[in-house]
Amino acid sequence: MAASNIGNDDIEDMEFQEENLCSSSSSISDTKFDMTIGHIEDIIMDDDFQDMQQNFMEKNYVHFEDTEENKFIYTDIFKEYTDLIEKFIEDKLTARMPGFVMSEFTRQLQTRQNELSGEIFEILLTFSDFISFKEMFIDYKAEKEGRTVDFSSGFVITPCSQQLEISSQNLEPPTS
Amino acid sequence: MGLLTILKKMKQKEKEVRLLMLGLDNAGKTTILKKFNGEDIDTISPTLGFNIKTLEHRGFKLNVWDVGGQKSLRSYWRNYFESTDGLIWVVDSADKRRLQDCKQELHSLLLEERLAGATLLVFANKQDLPGSLPSEEIRQALELDEIKSHHWMICGCSAVTGDNLLLGIDWIIDDIASRIFTMD
Ligand SMILES: Nc1nc2c(ncn2[C@@H]2O[C@H](COP(=O)(O)OP(=O)(O)OP(=O)(O)O)[C@@H](O)[C@H]2O)c(=O)[nH]1
Ligand SMILES: [Mg+2]
Repeated sequence: MAASNIGNDDIEDMEFQEENLCSSSSSISDTKFDMTIGHIEDIIMDDDFQDMQQNFMEKNYVHFEDTEENKFIYTDIFKEYTDLIEKFIEDKLTARMPGFVMSEFTRQLQTRQNELSGEIFEILLTFSDFISFKEMFIDYKAEKEGRTVDFSSGFVITPCSQQLEISSQNLEPPTS
Repeated sequence: MGLLTILKKMKQKEKEVRLLMLGLDNAGKTTILKKFNGEDIDTISPTLGFNIKTLEHRGFKLNVWDVGGQKSLRSYWRNYFESTDGLIWVVDSADKRRLQDCKQELHSLLLEERLAGATLLVFANKQDLPGSLPSEEIRQALELDEIKSHHWMICGCSAVTGDNLLLGIDWIIDDIASRIFTMD
């Protein structure tokens, strides 16, 4: 990802430019807004984020069953999941952008209702979609249980999709 | 309110409606949901958690939440109030013995702050059963005329035959749409 190495240096550069070239305060906030979106993109593509998701699924997948009806506990886990992601994004943004204030950013978001298109927003929306959340767990569980069988019979099947690869890295030895 | 919640709320301007279906156990909530969705209704068992269906109807995206109504489950209802546009209260019109209980549960829901803006549709269900009370009597038994806080309507229906389900759903969508979507 080309944008992923925007560090503090670049931020200072930009602020410098703003002071000198852009006199209106609205364009300063434009730049800051776009930068924040860029950071969010990087944050959720990062391995840390994937690890956090994997750990969360590993901890909770046992509760899920591939049935149409949902258990009440899914709602608790879902709440925990969205809180975790929100906190993760906020912490990482604060680390990357000194002085970042989430409430300020969400206020800006709301004034730009019509500009929010693009993949990043689609991704963020799936995080707060219960049905996607449930599917993610059902898939994880199916894959997990498939693998358990593989171990017990002494075969290891090499995962082929990217998602499988990510989870196989965090694979712990079977605890039987 | 966090980032994800805010984004979700902003996105929902696009003709998306959240309907919450509640009522005592055995009222016929899950049957209504499945019937409306064109699914088989012969093998429905009591709901111990909740069901969600997303239905397309008249260009609206309806997210319908159906939560189990057994007494021990009712304390969970509150976890599903948030962002509800319409409350569908389903009544077993043949269950005269529990109408009092039914009335109390409904009226206490209407005091909930998070349901304050919701439109109320009461389905007087199971009208196909010979002993069922007509919707006019359900209206009196539930003291619906006392309700000043919400737009409401009562509609006699049968989840088994499908009678009047569409009528009720169309009314609740129209009412919600006239409140929410005319602002653009
Ligand atoms: N005759 C008749 N039976 C109905 C009707 N609607 C539902 N039933 C029956 O009533 C019973 C209960 O229906 P459900 O849909 O499971 O009721 P519910 O409100 O979802 O109940 P809980 O999940 O326990 O809250 C089932 O046996 C249905 O077949 C109806 O309109 N007419
Ligand atoms: Mg049910």
